[in-house]
Amino acid sequence: MSMFSVLGVASSGVTVYRKWLDAVSDNISNMNTVRATSQDAFQARYVIAQAVDYGQGTGGAQVGGIALGSAEGRMVYSPDHPLADGEGYVRMPDIDLSSQMTQLIMAQRGYQANLSVVDRARDAYTAAVNLGRNS
Amino acid sequence: MPTSPVPSALSGITAVGGSPASSPSVTGASLRSAITALSARSKATADNIANIATPGFLANRVQFEDALAQAAASGSRGSAGFEMLRSLEPTRIDGNNVNLDRETLTSIDTGLRYQLMLRAVDDRFSLLRASMRTSG
Repeated sequence: MSMFSVLGVASSGVTVYRKWLDAVSDNISNMNTVRATSQDAFQARYVIAQAVDYGQGTGGAQVGGIALGSAEGRMVYSPDHPLADGEGYVRMPDIDLSSQMTQLIMAQRGYQANLSVVDRARDAYTAAVNLGRNS
Repeated sequence: MPTSPVPSALSGITAVGGSPASSPSVTGASLRSAITALSARSKATADNIANIATPGFLANRVQFEDALAQAAASGSRGSAGFEMLRSLEPTRIDGNNVNLDRETLTSIDTGLRYQLMLRAVDDRFSLLRASMRTSG
């Protein structure tokens, strides 16, 4: 067990949630990204968390991979759009805003939980560092 | 030391820890064991919180209170170890059973206990120092 290992574990958690927040904000900002029907739609990204060593050894979490949303998206009839095909359709991403907002809240809470672990660990380690000073 | 709430279901031991070194006194041995085990518990709790969204992750639990109480009662000067186990409590739909409320409380509780143990160690040092300082 290395020195101050709790800080390393908690910061790995913070990193996972920050990446999740990045992915969600990217998904939301591209909700209305229009593509021509000949192209793939913008694909939402979903972060897959993974345990480092599954609790043995160093511990902590990491991003195990990214799952992509539907490339098909949904076809929207918009004949005035410059990217519309002959029949007047464009391709929009299939992103559900309520699901993204829910994930945003989950990622934010996870981020905060890990940061408060950092705070508490710092207090405990500070006490350990000051051992023997008060006499 | 009051024992922490005992988890309802745990799997086999995944790790054991604690140094086999012996201390000059039972108090020293107990303090050493408690600090080592509490530090392992705070790491396990941090690991649980970091993996709160990891599919298939089962929470880690560190148990040491019973072993420590037994060692202290028998007057052993060797360190009592700790055991790391995996919780078998019901999981969420993604196979994860980490409960944030519980982990947050455990994290606060463990941090305070750790600081309490450190203060006890500090007091022993002060005692030692005071006795050395006394001049005839």
